[in-house]
Amino acid sequence: MAWKWQAKKRNRIILTVVCFLITFFFFFPILWWFLCSLKPYGDIFHLPPIFIFKPTLTWYQVVLGGVFYQSTELAQTGAITGEGGGLYYSIPYLRDSTIIATVSTALVIAIASLAAYGLSRFNFRRRENLVFWILSTRMMPPIVAALPFYLMYLNIQNMFRSNPNMPTFLRNFQMIDTYHGIIILHTIMNLPLAILMLKSFFDDVPRELDEATLVDGGNRLHAFWIVLHYIRPGLAATAILSFIFSWNEFLLTLVLTKGGVRTMPVAASTFITAYGVEWGYLAALGSAAMVPVFIFILLVQQHLVRGLTLGAVKG
Amino acid sequence: MAQTSVASIGKARVQRTAKKRGILSIERPVIWLLPAVVSLFLFSIFPLFFNLYRSFFRFDPSTKVFLPIGTRNWTELIQDPRVHNSLWVTLQYTTIALVIELVLGMVIALLFDQEPLGLPVLTSVIILPMVVPPAVTGLIFQLLEHSEFGVLSWVLYGLGLLQPSEPLLGGTGRHALMGVLFADIWQWTPFMILIFSAGLKALPPEPLEAALVDGASAWQRFWFVIVPLLRPVIAIAILVRLIDLYRVFDYIYLMTAGGPGRATEVISYYTYTQAFGFTKWGYASALGMFILILINLIAIVGTKVLKVEW
Repeated sequence: MAWKWQAKKRNRIILTVVCFLITFFFFFPILWWFLCSLKPYGDIFHLPPIFIFKPTLTWYQVVLGGVFYQSTELAQTGAITGEGGGLYYSIPYLRDSTIIATVSTALVIAIASLAAYGLSRFNFRRRENLVFWILSTRMMPPIVAALPFYLMYLNIQNMFRSNPNMPTFLRNFQMIDTYHGIIILHTIMNLPLAILMLKSFFDDVPRELDEATLVDGGNRLHAFWIVLHYIRPGLAATAILSFIFSWNEFLLTLVLTKGGVRTMPVAASTFITAYGVEWGYLAALGSAAMVPVFIFILLVQQHLVRGLTLGAVKG
Repeated sequence: MAQTSVASIGKARVQRTAKKRGILSIERPVIWLLPAVVSLFLFSIFPLFFNLYRSFFRFDPSTKVFLPIGTRNWTELIQDPRVHNSLWVTLQYTTIALVIELVLGMVIALLFDQEPLGLPVLTSVIILPMVVPPAVTGLIFQLLEHSEFGVLSWVLYGLGLLQPSEPLLGGTGRHALMGVLFADIWQWTPFMILIFSAGLKALPPEPLEAALVDGASAWQRFWFVIVPLLRPVIAIAILVRLIDLYRVFDYIYLMTAGGPGRATEVISYYTYTQAFGFTKWGYASALGMFILILINLIAIVGTKVLKVEW
């Protein structure tokens, strides 16, 4: 909605410059982080900040390429400073993150699309209450869920371990520090968002479409399948958001893993050692982990508002 | 006419098939909703009762058993100065971040709404902070705010807004909360911008045109036309942010670990240390229950005051 003063060309140029400056401020930390991942050791700490330097891929070679960190350390600093024990090779962390995010997203979409269809297509008593309850589970602080889940997982493990009636191959059954343990939690965590977002997409498709299918002799599953095809973009957006939230989740993974499974955010937090923070490695890992997320989010940009407000505001 | 009759026949048929089959038929909602409801039950109702139950116990680390101790955890919680402190820190954190993000978000959304050149590029770039993993955001800002080589610190020293003897992170912790808030504001102001931009775009043009004809000033147009029209969107943005700010953990864990001293110890972080640092499971459960009660109060009061409609 254009206001009058904008009609002047000069004003519009000033406006554009101001907006670009603001956007640059928001982009700067990301840019800086990315530049750090390419800087030689000394330049990372240089003030005033340097923007022109001889880029190096050393940090990436260690983090993604498995080059032994001590040789890099020696070449960069002239001494072996890092005492992290060479845990900077991060492909396993990215792999764990990918597995957990992918599987939990698939589960979320499966469960949530059924529930969203049910909420959107059937009239039943107290439906609004059910929607509100689902909404309220989105408010659950992760720390409050982490406590009972940790203890419950421990109990389940003990149940298997101390029980002589269990078959031998199940006696080592674990919940803590496993993919399935984290996947269960991430799935439940992302469900409210996915259900409400998908419900708002289902609501956009007229019910007559279902009824036409039912009249033609199909059952509800056919109708569901057809409507699902209509909301494919919404489905993709929901899947991507749920993937990102799982990819970025920190607290639940932190308390429910002990190093056997380690996602990217948790791994990054361990790069802070007693000897200081290994900024080069950290920046390389952080940048590598951000690239897929950035691509994903730009793909579903137009549905982002709806997702973040749980279907309340349609962007 | 023909269409209506077909539709009504269809409806009758749907009702008949629904009647014929049992409660678990796919023509009824139960089976569609069951998997989701069971999962969410696990995530919301189960922690509630579990925390409530465990809050009347004390965990003995040496024997690894829970001993019933009545309401001792709760009386301790009410008197615990660290709980008081963490509530105060959380309140400051939430209020400051919410106000700044709200105002900044609205101003930038209004600027963007004036259609600068290259708007699609600007919108694409400005949403990027939101999807940076919060753990990485914490680390990025730890680098930017480093007392010796942080760029942000360096700029603030240069402007005279900050003394090297009293850095953003560390030191006596006078500015530590501000240091963490920088990360939060950077990451979540785009959320406000995005939502307000969507709201502004969807506004009907007539009221604003009418206000222009009546000679309303820019401020009057904003305050008496745009804000009332945007109220539902603003309410939702505030509520969503309020709830997320209240449960902040990642930045604190990565940037300050609650310190220096207890300057940035928010309630989530305090609960975390009690549970996973000191294995005081009973006390931590009481704290968790307390957090839940508070967040429900916030949500209920917030929904009523802001008149949120989902």
